[in-house]
Amino acid sequence: MSANRDPMAVAPDSSILEVRDLDAGYGDLQILTDVDLDVGDGEYVTVVGPNGAGKSTVMKSVFGLTVHMGGSIVFQGAPIHEKKPEQIIHEGISYVPQNNNIFSTLTVQENLEMGAYILDEVPKQRLEEVYERFPVLEERKTQRAGSMSGGQRQMVAMGRALMLDPDLLLLDEPSAGLAPDLVDEMFDRIDKINNDGTAILMVEQNAKEALRRCDRGYVLTQGQNSYTDTGEELLADKEVRQQFLGG
Amino acid sequence: MATAQDSGGVFEELSKTLRANPGLVFVLLVAVVLVIDLLARFAGQEIPLFADRTLGGDLSVARFGSLVWEGIVIGLIFGLAGIGLSMTYSILNFANFSHGDLFTTGAFTGWGVALLVAGFGVADATAGYLIFVMDGRGPGPAEVGASIVASPLAILAGVVMAAVATALVALVLDRVVYYPMRDRGGIPLLIASIGVALALRSAIQFVYGSGTRGITDTQGIVVDVRDIIELIFGDVEASGGLLGWVLDASVNLHRTTLVVVAVVLIVALHLMLQRTKLGKAMRAMADNKDLALVTGIPTERVVRWTWILGAGLAGVAGYLYVLERGAMDFNLGWFLLLFIFAAVILGGIGSIYGAIAGGLVIGLVHELSIIWISSDLNAAAAFAIMILVLLYRPDGLFKGVTTA
Repeated sequence: MSANRDPMAVAPDSSILEVRDLDAGYGDLQILTDVDLDVGDGEYVTVVGPNGAGKSTVMKSVFGLTVHMGGSIVFQGAPIHEKKPEQIIHEGISYVPQNNNIFSTLTVQENLEMGAYILDEVPKQRLEEVYERFPVLEERKTQRAGSMSGGQRQMVAMGRALMLDPDLLLLDEPSAGLAPDLVDEMFDRIDKINNDGTAILMVEQNAKEALRRCDRGYVLTQGQNSYTDTGEELLADKEVRQQFLGG
Repeated sequence: MATAQDSGGVFEELSKTLRANPGLVFVLLVAVVLVIDLLARFAGQEIPLFADRTLGGDLSVARFGSLVWEGIVIGLIFGLAGIGLSMTYSILNFANFSHGDLFTTGAFTGWGVALLVAGFGVADATAGYLIFVMDGRGPGPAEVGASIVASPLAILAGVVMAAVATALVALVLDRVVYYPMRDRGGIPLLIASIGVALALRSAIQFVYGSGTRGITDTQGIVVDVRDIIELIFGDVEASGGLLGWVLDASVNLHRTTLVVVAVVLIVALHLMLQRTKLGKAMRAMADNKDLALVTGIPTERVVRWTWILGAGLAGVAGYLYVLERGAMDFNLGWFLLLFIFAAVILGGIGSIYGAIAGGLVIGLVHELSIIWISSDLNAAAAFAIMILVLLYRPDGLFKGVTTA
C-alpha cells in the first residue's frame, strides 16, 4: 500500500464524527476490527466494499445498534459508543435503515411526525421543508406509506430522518431495490441534502456511483479499513478498481 | 381476469371463484337454506322436508331482534376484551393467555368497589363483605341494590375501578414476569403467560373464594322505551309505524349500559390511536418495532401504555359482562378466553378494529345459532364460523386493511 493509504492522511480538519480503533459486532461475534473513520462538518462520506465486509455494521455501530467491544466513537466532542439509539438520536444523528425503513400502515404525514417524536411538538416549519424537498409526499400525505412505490417509500424514509434536521445523516444502501432509472434521482436528492449542510455517511452497494458523488470514501474489507481517499482518487486507483469495482 | 369484463362478467367471475373453491358452493347452499328457513319461521310456515324434519317453524321478528341484540351485547364484550389481546400481540409479540384472567380481575375488583358504594349503610353489609364481592353469608343482591337504577354512581365507580385495578395488576405482572424476558421471543412469553394465567386465577380464588355468586339487582332494570323517551323529551304521542314499534319495545338497562360504555370506550380508543402522539407511536411500534427504536420512540413507555389500555379495557369488559350476566365466579375469564382469541383471530390478529368486528361476528353467531341448533352447541357454531372465514381469508377480516 502506498503512503497515502494511512487512514488519517486525508482526514478532514474538523471532524464531527471520529471513530477510532472500533471493535464491534453482534452477540459474541466480532465483525469490525480497529476501524477508523471520520466525517467532517458537512462532509459526504461513503463506505464501499465487498459483500460481508461489515459496511452496514459500521453504520449500525455509530447508531448504537451493535455490541461495542473496543475503541471509541466521538460525535461533536462527546463519546457516544456506550449510548443507545434513542439517546444518540438526541445528539443530532438520524439513521435510515436499508430495509423496512417506513411505518407502512401509517400515513405519510404520520411517518414524518414520528420522525420528530422526541420533540414536544411537530415542528411545522421543518415539516414544510421536508414537503418542499419531496413535493410528492405532500400530495400523498394522507395516503398509507405502504401503498407507495419504492422510490416514494425511500423519500418517506429520508423525510422521516430529516425531521430533526440532523447534523449527520446515516444512509444504509439508499439505492437498494430501486429501479435503475430512479437510482440517479435518489443520488441527486442525497447531493441536495448534503449541499444544504447535512453531513452524510452512506453505505452503498453501487460503489462507482457513490464514489463519484461523495467527498471521500472508505474501502472496507473483512471488517477492517483498507483504504481511504477522495472519491475520485479511489475511483482512479487501479487496485481498488480491480478488487471492488469490477475492473 | 380480462374475461370478467366481458358480457355476463359477474356470473363468469362467480363461477370461476366457485370452481376454484368447490367448498364455497356448499357454504352458499347452507346460507341459502338458512335464509329460506328463517323467512319461513318469520311467516310461521312449516315446510315438510323428509321424515320428521321440516324447514321453518315459528319465530317472531321480535324474538329474532332480541337475539341479534344479545349477540351484539356479547360481541362487544368479546371485542372490548379482544382489543387488549390484539394490542399485546402486535406490540409485545406474544399471545397472552393470561388475558382472560385480567378480565376476571376487572370483574372482581370493579364489583368490589361498586358493591361497597351501593351497599353503604345497608344493615349487616360490612365493608369486608362487600369489597370481597359478597362471599359467604350476608344480605343478597336485592338488599345491596347494585343496579344501574338503584345506584348508578356505584356502577360507574365500578367501571373506573375495574380499569384502574386491572391496569395496575398488568403493570406489576409486566415488570415482574414479562419485562425480564422481553427479548426471548413469542413462545417463551406465551408459555410464561399460561403460568401467569394459572397464578392469577388461583390468587383470585384465594382472595375472593370459589363460590358462584349473584351480584346485580335486576329490579326495575327492564323498562319501556316510551318511558325513557318521555323522561327526556316530555310526552310523546305516537303509536303504530316504526316509531310506535320502537316506543312499544322494552330494554334491559344493564345491557344498554354495557353497550353505551363499550361504544364510548371503543370510540375513545379510536380517537386516541388516530389523533394523539402516543396513539400514533403505539401504531408505529405495532407496525415496525426496529424502526420505532431508531426513530427515538420510547419503546418501553409505549409498552407500559399498551398494558394500561389493553388490560384496562379487558377489566372493564369483565366488569360489564357481570353487569349483564348478574353472577360471577373465578373462572369467568378463563372460560371466555377461547372466544376472545377467536374474535381476535377472526378479525385479523394485531388489528383493534378487527378485534371488534371479530367479536361481533362471534357474538352474533353464538346467539343466532340458537334458532337452529341446541344451545349446548352454540359455542361450536361460533368456532365453526371462525374456521370457515379463516379458510377463505387466512389473515382474518381486517389484516392489512387498517392500522394497529
